[in-house]
Amino acid sequence: MYDIKPLEDEWKKYNNKKRKPIYLTVLLLIGIGIGVFILFNVKEISLPEFNTTRNIVSKVDTRSSVLLEDKLTTLQIKKSELIEDIKPPVKMNVEVSKEETIPELPIVENIPILEEVKKKRITKKVYKKQVSKKIKVDAPRKKMHLNIIESSSVSAYKDVEKRFYESHDADDSLFLAKSYFRKGNYKKAEYWALQTNKVNKYIDESWLIFVKAKVKLGRKNEAIRVLTNYVKMSDSSKAKNLLLRLKN
Amino acid sequence: MKSRYEAAKNVFIDSIDIDDYIELSSSVTAYKQLEHSMDKPLKMILLFGRPGTGKSILLNRIQEKLKHQKEIHYFDTPATNEKEFFHKLFKVLTKQDLPHNTEVNFSALVNFCKNLRGKREIVILLDEAQMYGPEMMEKIRLISDSRSVKFIVSLHKTDDEDLIAKEHFQSRIWEVIELKNATHEDQTAYIHKKLLKKNLFEIANSIKEKDMKLIHAFTKGNFRECNKLIFTIFEICEYYDKNEPSKINYDNIPQRIIEMAALKLGYIHV
Repeated sequence: MYDIKPLEDEWKKYNNKKRKPIYLTVLLLIGIGIGVFILFNVKEISLPEFNTTRNIVSKVDTRSSVLLEDKLTTLQIKKSELIEDIKPPVKMNVEVSKEETIPELPIVENIPILEEVKKKRITKKVYKKQVSKKIKVDAPRKKMHLNIIESSSVSAYKDVEKRFYESHDADDSLFLAKSYFRKGNYKKAEYWALQTNKVNKYIDESWLIFVKAKVKLGRKNEAIRVLTNYVKMSDSSKAKNLLLRLKN
Repeated sequence: MKSRYEAAKNVFIDSIDIDDYIELSSSVTAYKQLEHSMDKPLKMILLFGRPGTGKSILLNRIQEKLKHQKEIHYFDTPATNEKEFFHKLFKVLTKQDLPHNTEVNFSALVNFCKNLRGKREIVILLDEAQMYGPEMMEKIRLISDSRSVKFIVSLHKTDDEDLIAKEHFQSRIWEVIELKNATHEDQTAYIHKKLLKKNLFEIANSIKEKDMKLIHAFTKGNFRECNKLIFTIFEICEYYDKNEPSKINYDNIPQRIIEMAALKLGYIHV
């Protein structure tokens, strides 16, 4: 056997040729694997909308606080007092209680919303809508970004409504009442506050929204009558304060 | 120093030595079939098969086994001409050498054979019969018609020779025995038995089942091809054993070496 070296070389060539389809198959499989992985990831990015919105919300949070400050400055309200009220809720979203925020709705509107964000995922979208409206007014250059949020929040409202009709959860209806009130849709706010009261008649916040919505709709007397009855029933200090303010 | 593979290599040198005969289930069947046919009052029997299917060794084996019971003669190499063939035949039939410068008279030979009818029964094993021309085969047939001489004709089955076989033997042959390539199991047994016969147990054990499958795939069960391939495998092993022992595994024959042997013999190509 003198020709072993050429034979070895020949075998190497043969072996490479033999393995070529295997290598190609492996490469193809890896390619398919990567393709599937990318496809899966793309789907993941597009499907869980809440993850994306969470990021947006966090951005908006900061923005909203800045906007609020700006607004407050322009309105020439005493900055020192207001910043005390506004800044902490931005930082510690959950810590602000409902009782404190509801009567002050016109000024500290987004505080309860931030609280809700912590509670419900969908709420975040709605909140963005609220904030987006503000930004639309104050900072039109952010329009594009806000439009996206607007479109997603509509479906979020519908989702919550749908869920309420299925579960009759007072939290859902109260959320809708508050949200619509902030949006200025007082008719819907009144409706959802009423739905909340039907489910649970001992929620202060819901009664207050119900009454305030009636006032905004120009039915002040009716509002006072309802609130008087509620005060009798609940002896709520907030309700009393509001009643006092309405009467004055 | 002598390599262990040298002895193994030599086991597979192609030969029709009766000592190398390996009894396999397929060869036992063919042997019995041939023995049975020989007992029948047939004039000509055709042993048919592709080269390397074991025709020659079977004829050899049958001659060796029956030589004490029957008048059986094995014509291994075909005569180059008619004269030589009839010289050989004359010697077998008359048990005498033909005198110098004489020729066999064919008619007289046929008559002689006819006279032997009932007295003697002679079996002639004609290997490589495809080498005989049509005229010669016709004369063989005439001799077999005497019923005192029986011919067992071994013939290669190739595409061309298949035609010759059909044309010249179809009407004259009484029985055809076809030998086929070995199955994977038979070939495995063949290789193992061959090595064990020479006490090469370790080497026999080093050829694993997957190697046997590969060998069968390359040789398609042909015994001659198998001998060639195994010989080459052991030749390569022997080289490595002597020169580059790191490249060989004594526990099993590397697939690389089997493929190298197959490349060398042209079973596979780059």
